[in-house]
Amino acid sequence: MTPTQPNVPQDRVPAGSEAGLEAADQQEVTRLCVESAVMLMQHGAESTLVESVARRLGEALGVERIEVAIMANAITLTSLHEGRCITTVRRIQDHGINMHVVTEVQRAMLCVEEGSLDRAGYRKHLSEIHPYRYPRWLVVLGIGLSCACFARLAGADLASCGVVFVASSVAMAVRQQVSAMHFNPFIAFFASAFVATSIAGWGAILRIGATPRPAMAASVLLLVPGFPLINAVSDMVKGYINTGLSRGMMAILLSLATCGGILLAMTAWKVWGWL
Amino acid sequence: MHLLLTLVQDMILAAIPAVGFALVFNVPPRALVYCAAGGAIGHGVRMLLLAAGVPIEWGTLFAASLVSFLGVYYAQKLRAHPKVFTVAAMIPMIPGVPLFTTLLAIVEIQRSGYTPELFSTALSSGLKAAFIVGALAIGLAMPGLIYYRRRPIV
Repeated sequence: MTPTQPNVPQDRVPAGSEAGLEAADQQEVTRLCVESAVMLMQHGAESTLVESVARRLGEALGVERIEVAIMANAITLTSLHEGRCITTVRRIQDHGINMHVVTEVQRAMLCVEEGSLDRAGYRKHLSEIHPYRYPRWLVVLGIGLSCACFARLAGADLASCGVVFVASSVAMAVRQQVSAMHFNPFIAFFASAFVATSIAGWGAILRIGATPRPAMAASVLLLVPGFPLINAVSDMVKGYINTGLSRGMMAILLSLATCGGILLAMTAWKVWGWL
Repeated sequence: MHLLLTLVQDMILAAIPAVGFALVFNVPPRALVYCAAGGAIGHGVRMLLLAAGVPIEWGTLFAASLVSFLGVYYAQKLRAHPKVFTVAAMIPMIPGVPLFTTLLAIVEIQRSGYTPELFSTALSSGLKAAFIVGALAIGLAMPGLIYYRRRPIV
């Protein structure tokens, strides 16, 4: 392109890159921005964060402006530089909530802002982010204990808490296995709720513990979509009504699938623990 | 003395689920301790407020805001968005039982016909769940709404 750039003051050009951005450079910056945004969105970041990271990254990499349109399952991103626009769209597939990825992407963006990472370095860093996952047995154990604590908070006795521990742990293992086999999340939640309520229900039938009702309620609390619910409201509070609505609807549908599993188990074993 | 004992028990029982769900959300290991602290402080403060007669929605809003403001401080130290660990800290306060009660009551109305009791159960627990979730989310957004209005927290 032309060597003169009247619109870009020299101090806007980041260190480590040659002055000004060619069209090919702008294209690469656009791709890096949209890929960062997609990574954040896929791993459960709220819309404000997605937009602000994409915008700050683009500006730090020397583009004049970045505009982002976030939809529930796609991101459109445009970069504007010296009268040139590059627009690109990416599809979003849900990869499950992973705060490790969100943290890593944001830290890399902060490094670019501070100037300790240039474009090539950022691209390398981004490609090296592998979603960290806790071992499955640890998650199973943690969720079992969590639901047992919920039961205790709701006033269950220790024997009932033990039933809840078993029921939720097994249900969590089922959920992980069904998800790992790439079933639809609704099926995973349905199956998991069925297993949890069946075990808690058999606890009630066999009279283990004197408080079967809080036990049955607590055993399915691992299936409350807490993160999507909170994200839904905070998106809407911050003006992203459409992503908020779709996240909220997803959360309600997942809860309905859970209710289906609970009802099926209660009907099959003829134990009634709710309402 | 009795209240103090209940409070300590309540905070411990809230810290464990906060960490348990943080594992599901794959919160970075270094932030797990903040999840535990946030869960304990949030649930403990809400329990005290409820004991003092504050309605549950307002108690939740206050507890969530408090955790969120504390979260901003640690988020800046950790160089990560506060939601990375504050959402997991809110999990013990999520109204899971009212949420499922609402949906089960609605399904039950469909299965066995309308009764005023079922309808009132569905409506009251549904409203309770909605208001508490709203209070949690708005409480978490509070630093951005009040203080960091046009600039990023991290």
